[in-house]
Amino acid sequence: MKRENSGAENARLTALLHESRPMPALPPRFAEGVWRRIEESEATLFPSQRTGWFDRLVVQILRPRFILPGLAALLVAGSLLGAHDASQMAKRDALERYLASVAPNPLR
Amino acid sequence: MRRSFLILLGTFAFAAAVFAGSFLFTRQIWVSRMANPADNLEWLRQEFKLTDADMARVRNLHELYSPRCAEMCTRIAAKKAELEAALAGSTNVSASARQKLAELGELRAQCQAQMLQHFIEVSQAMPPEQGRRYLAEMERLTLGFHEQIENAMSNHGGHGSAMH
Repeated sequence: MKRENSGAENARLTALLHESRPMPALPPRFAEGVWRRIEESEATLFPSQRTGWFDRLVVQILRPRFILPGLAALLVAGSLLGAHDASQMAKRDALERYLASVAPNPLR
Repeated sequence: MRRSFLILLGTFAFAAAVFAGSFLFTRQIWVSRMANPADNLEWLRQEFKLTDADMARVRNLHELYSPRCAEMCTRIAAKKAELEAALAGSTNVSASARQKLAELGELRAQCQAQMLQHFIEVSQAMPPEQGRRYLAEMERLTLGFHEQIENAMSNHGGHGSAMH
């Protein structure tokens, strides 16, 4: 008895919700369009045998699990090389300053 | 295929930009942090890992040497000016110009001898191993340049054939 009452209340609630938020009519063949788009996006993400090896390779390379560590490695390598280069430059400058203070150019 | 190629090309360009950007950015930061233009002796501390006590001894020697070096440089500059005046307008090397050349050479030799003496004193103010390395490096950097020129001139074909 109680269950019948709650079922009827749910139906009334659903009807009220539909009335309060009217949905526009879907365009013709809407569901068909949605499925077509899903298939197209899957074809891009998981290319079939029909696509070329290069396309498949590019898709594999550009996966986040390769791209993100790759970018991180480039950042680290660039920073390390930059720091090394800066230390070499600073060392050369310091040597030049010392030489200029003890052995002026006409003597070298 | 073409679209994939363009995407891959764009990815490589982006990767190159990331690498170059991180390289330049880090280098700029480190250069500004490491540069110490106020201290001419910083190279000695870095290169020879000198302690504060070593640096104090070296700094003392450097401060004694600097005014003598500056005085020699002034005398050399004055002698060069005299030589230029003696050479001005003449089409041959006059006796006066020869005299000035000899005096200039003598002054340069004195200055170099004083400089080498300073290097020896500084090397003795360092721990023995660093001192030996410092002296060898200074001789290479200050006298080696002349040796390179002299070697190049003696190996030059024109000079060799002129002697025979």
